[in-house]
Amino acid sequence: MTDVLQIQNVTKQFGGLTAVDNVSIDIPEKSISSIIGPNGAGKTTLFNCISGYYSPEDGKILFQGQPIQGLATYEVAALGIARTYQNIRLFKQLTALENILVGAQPHLTTGWLSAVLHTRKFKSEEYDALVEATHLLDHVGLKGCGDTVAVNLPYGAQRRLEIARALANRPSLLLLDEPTAGMNPQETESMAKFIATLRDDFNLTIVLIEHDMSVVMGISEQISVLDHGVKIAEGLPEEIRANPRVIEAYLGAGTQHLVDKFKRKKNNAA
Amino acid sequence: MKNKSSGNKIVNPAIVASIVSIFLIMIGFNVVFAAIVSKAFGQNVISGSLSNPYFQIVFNAMMGFLVGWRVNQTRNFRGVLASSAAGAISGAIVAGFCLLLGIIYVNGGDFRSYLTALSPINVNFCLYGLPPIMGFLVTLVTFIIFAFLGGLLKLIPFGRFFSKPAGAVKSFFNKPSIQKTWHNKVFRIFLLILGLSALIILPRLWGSYWNYVIGTVGIYVLMGLGLNLIVGLSGQLVLGFAAFIAVGAYTAALLNAPEPHNLMLGSWIAFIVGIGLAAFAGALIGLPIMKLRGDYLAIVTLGFGEIMRISLKSDLLTSFTGGPRGIQDIKGPVIFGAAFNSDIDFMYLIIMAVAIAIFVTIRLQDSRVGRAWISMREDETVASASGVNPMKYKMLALVLGAAFAGLAGTIFATRNQFTGPEDHTLMVSINALAIVIVGGMGSIPGIILGAFALKGLPELLREFESYRMLAFGALLVAMMIWRPQGFWPAKRPALSKRVKPEDSPPPLPLDPNKEVGHD
Repeated sequence: MTDVLQIQNVTKQFGGLTAVDNVSIDIPEKSISSIIGPNGAGKTTLFNCISGYYSPEDGKILFQGQPIQGLATYEVAALGIARTYQNIRLFKQLTALENILVGAQPHLTTGWLSAVLHTRKFKSEEYDALVEATHLLDHVGLKGCGDTVAVNLPYGAQRRLEIARALANRPSLLLLDEPTAGMNPQETESMAKFIATLRDDFNLTIVLIEHDMSVVMGISEQISVLDHGVKIAEGLPEEIRANPRVIEAYLGAGTQHLVDKFKRKKNNAA
Repeated sequence: MKNKSSGNKIVNPAIVASIVSIFLIMIGFNVVFAAIVSKAFGQNVISGSLSNPYFQIVFNAMMGFLVGWRVNQTRNFRGVLASSAAGAISGAIVAGFCLLLGIIYVNGGDFRSYLTALSPINVNFCLYGLPPIMGFLVTLVTFIIFAFLGGLLKLIPFGRFFSKPAGAVKSFFNKPSIQKTWHNKVFRIFLLILGLSALIILPRLWGSYWNYVIGTVGIYVLMGLGLNLIVGLSGQLVLGFAAFIAVGAYTAALLNAPEPHNLMLGSWIAFIVGIGLAAFAGALIGLPIMKLRGDYLAIVTLGFGEIMRISLKSDLLTSFTGGPRGIQDIKGPVIFGAAFNSDIDFMYLIIMAVAIAIFVTIRLQDSRVGRAWISMREDETVASASGVNPMKYKMLALVLGAAFAGLAGTIFATRNQFTGPEDHTLMVSINALAIVIVGGMGSIPGIILGAFALKGLPELLREFESYRMLAFGALLVAMMIWRPQGFWPAKRPALSKRVKPEDSPPPLPLDPNKEVGHD
């Protein structure tokens, strides 16, 4: 299995604060990987470095073997990296279908003049994109909501629409930033299942930032843990669960005995 | 406790209304208002002269009515009594003020050095042209009667009254047969022909004054459409829009006026070059401001607009641009040997230009270009991460918007046969911006409505020159409070209806989880 994304010794600083400190992560192709860590660990900053918002001070980011650090966000998007956001960021005044069509922007080639003249190529390209968008809308379970203005959709639907917009980019790598934030356990579970099916349906590599451990442990094949910008652990879910450094990062130093006690209690109950 | 609060509900609105009335009287608005009303009744009013003092009743009645309407919140007979009480209070205050003024003037006092509007004639007007005591009584009675009427009117359940016809109208338009006719191609073509023939015939019918007014509105529609691409769709707050208009206007002038260069290339060439140069100016200003957003962009473009105007005015360029005097005798266009010289010809030209601009805007806003623009307006960083190249689309919006402005400028200068630096002040940019915002960002019907409201009405109310800006300001404030989305907010197209049934997605075999998330 090749690595679709290689993050090599990436460092990102804001003034005196090192938000991401010499982090290296390899993401295998067609995998679902998670990046976890306490608040302020630098997870979203790392995402922002990958998708081109930030240019890292040091290190390399290779996508399919090609360096992408320092590229503009739209160039990164055109290469096939799409993402969603921790706090939903849809184009509020556009309809659901139009939101998805904006995601398809890198695949549309006709210019403004053909849009004014309604050339045959323009029409067929727009129509094909529209059909694709309709299918995506259906796929994320929003059939019939296509003409609703995004801001009027319910919360869960907005999350799904954001994923549909990212998928319209026909990405090979999908970055999901806390896809289950603000959802109840039931919604969280269905979202986790949905993410797992996405990989097979769209032939994707998925990287997610997530706080909900049930999601992380349930669907990831690789987990990387960040704390204060430093990668402190990496491995399979069960390895991470047992890693004392991870527990320390989340719960504080000297809490291992509490965790053991909790586990014993849980085992007794079961 | 209850008594006190109900008392406040009467006294407070009454005092507010009387303060507003006194303020309006002090700036002489009541006189102007009466003049507008008497004009509406067919009396011709010349600027500066006064209409019959009896028209003061209109002003007092309006204020009294508003108090009564406002105070009767309970919508019962007690409320009507409260309305009358409030009318009595505010009437007493206003009438007392007028009485005071009247007595002071009778005794030879004069306020004119402080408040120009409070001339003896105006004070006389406030008192219905009667002796002070009589005027006081009449004012008081007017307020009470109309406050009573205002309260009484609140008893009528307008909600039910209007909801029924409104519902009937709605259900009428939702009838399948009506919907079918509305979407019928033949019907649409028929409507189009009807509209077109109206546009062809009307300019010949309504005379040169209306052609002038509507033509001005049309030019502002053109400007609004241009700025709409920049502000309304792509979301860049550009305040130097007048500069692009100036480029168009001056190009038309320099290429086609006897002075200062006597090139006389003909209007059509001047139009094309003007549009091209304005678009070029858009690109030029676009280069340095590409990375700026929001208020920074506004300030920089504001500066650009002013630089443009001041350099046109400067002594340095007088030999080239005519300096502060501007350029006169711009020749009109000639078509097949016939010269454009009447307002009708220009009206047609303006209608054509507006039609082209609307066509281009419609085609653009409902395409990938428009979607890219609006996505940038909504959230530029996300738009960029979705694959929209912000530089490219910002530049496109600026160039096309500037080209529209250039077209508006060339027509404006050619129609007036004159252009000068004072035609391109900051006020022009602000007017265009107000049209876009008041009409509704990104909405074509909104811009047309906005241009009529902000340019057409003031043009018609030219007699009341000094109050135009007052009304303009009040309208802007009121709009931003009660209808921030504009007169006619933009509506996005229903794209799902365009997907042919055979292309719509089949029910999915694998179905991760169909239900939509709850909020």
